[in-house]
Amino acid sequence: MNKILRHIILPFLFAAMAMVVSQDAHAQDQAIMVIANDKGAPTSMTMKELKSVMQGEKQRWDDGTKVSIAFMKANTSVGSSTAKKIMGMTGDQLNKFWLALVFQGKAKAPVFYGSSTDVENFIAQNPGAIGVVEAGHILKSGHTVTIDGKKNF
Amino acid sequence: MNQNQNRFLTRLGLSNSFAICGITLGLLLCNVSSNAQETQIRGFADFGTNYSNKQANFTLGEQDLFITSDVSDRLSFLGETVFKYSATSPTRFDISIERIILKYNIKGNHNILFGKHHTPVNYWNDSYHHGRVLFPTIFRPDMFNKGVVPLHTTGIRFQGQNLGKLRFGYDALIGNGEASTDAVDFNKQKSIMLGVSMIPIDHFRVGLTYYHDNIPALAVLHHTTNVAKKDVDQSLYSASVSYFGNKFELLAETSVGINAYQDTIDGVETTVSPVSPAGYLYAGYRIKQKFVPYLRADLLQFNHEEVLFSNNMQRSALFGLRYEINYLAVVKLEYAYSETSHEDVQLSHTNTVNFQFAIGF
Repeated sequence: MNKILRHIILPFLFAAMAMVVSQDAHAQDQAIMVIANDKGAPTSMTMKELKSVMQGEKQRWDDGTKVSIAFMKANTSVGSSTAKKIMGMTGDQLNKFWLALVFQGKAKAPVFYGSSTDVENFIAQNPGAIGVVEAGHILKSGHTVTIDGKKNF
Repeated sequence: MNQNQNRFLTRLGLSNSFAICGITLGLLLCNVSSNAQETQIRGFADFGTNYSNKQANFTLGEQDLFITSDVSDRLSFLGETVFKYSATSPTRFDISIERIILKYNIKGNHNILFGKHHTPVNYWNDSYHHGRVLFPTIFRPDMFNKGVVPLHTTGIRFQGQNLGKLRFGYDALIGNGEASTDAVDFNKQKSIMLGVSMIPIDHFRVGLTYYHDNIPALAVLHHTTNVAKKDVDQSLYSASVSYFGNKFELLAETSVGINAYQDTIDGVETTVSPVSPAGYLYAGYRIKQKFVPYLRADLLQFNHEEVLFSNNMQRSALFGLRYEINYLAVVKLEYAYSETSHEDVQLSHTNTVNFQFAIGF
């Protein structure tokens, strides 16, 4: 038994651990802002309402438009700040949370982009879309959503 | 097809409820618009080793593919197909359709779903099922392998979720019974499942469900070798509590099955209603983000008058360590002890060390 553990199972365990490098980004205190398509999302929300939306708990806005969510990838500073400031999670936890939710069939999968411009473009093309970008990002379309009265946080 | 199945098939007829549901589906699909389709394919796979009875084995797990697609603004599709080893298949592998769900959003967070579902009895069955990278332990709790919980139901489901401040949820599912196939029901009675849940604070969920089915004699329960010895009128009462916080994890589920049947005792026709409780408790504690030591205890206390479940009692306990490399890769090492007994006489026991490497992709 000890021999098996020592020669087969434990080496597998450590080899498996060593094979994959952790992809967790270090959470940075990057200021972020919330933007949305002109159809669907309101112009102001509380942090509690935003968290609820970003956790997939709302399928439709009050006007009936379907909610679509766009995040920056968790390995970007905006992505990790989004997870931390809105959801109280690490980037990895946010990814796992959404993987489980989509697998359960309980929510439409969000989209993940590498830049604020890509997030804005997605939101511009999709009524009901809401997303998080770098604070100070200059919008060409859509509107910012103030959270607890703040444009950036 | 055997004689028993033929006997049921000849009794099969379209019930009024199916006709109404068909018309409803037709009306709903009339409203489907032709938006651009968004389709995603994701999956899970796992590999393991185990040591038991002085022998080590390498084990290929399952490859699980699930597809999601937005067909229109309100209609979406979810399909899940599993490829896994099967000793009885000529190719040594089986393909099984685990889920095919057409989901139509009625209004807000209220949906109607058509197809083959993970029966939403309790938490584990509907939350993890084949997603082994999401499992807190290596294997499912025993109550899911011994026929206690109906794993799948093909039928129509009404679902509401995250309603109000307490994030109230409901499920109502009518479908082919446990002893039926995905294509035909072998008796006229449908299985019915009703469930409610709420999430009063983040990460904490409580749920209650009721499931009723009529299972004909000689029917074989899904995913088991259990054969109903008599016509059974089954009621299953279940409850679950789950908390998966940043540090502490807790999951407790119980189901109490009452499998009533007619029997002749001393020349008198009598209804016998054996009560069989089953359940498990899981707890884990996260250390330094990625390490989670955990333990789980399972108990299946089958009644000796059972004609549907086993007559034997089963107990097991395990402890293990989970290392989450990232959200798509998890390794687990686990020791498990289990024993089977009948009326306080131990029939068998096993000690097993298991290792699993599970990924999502």
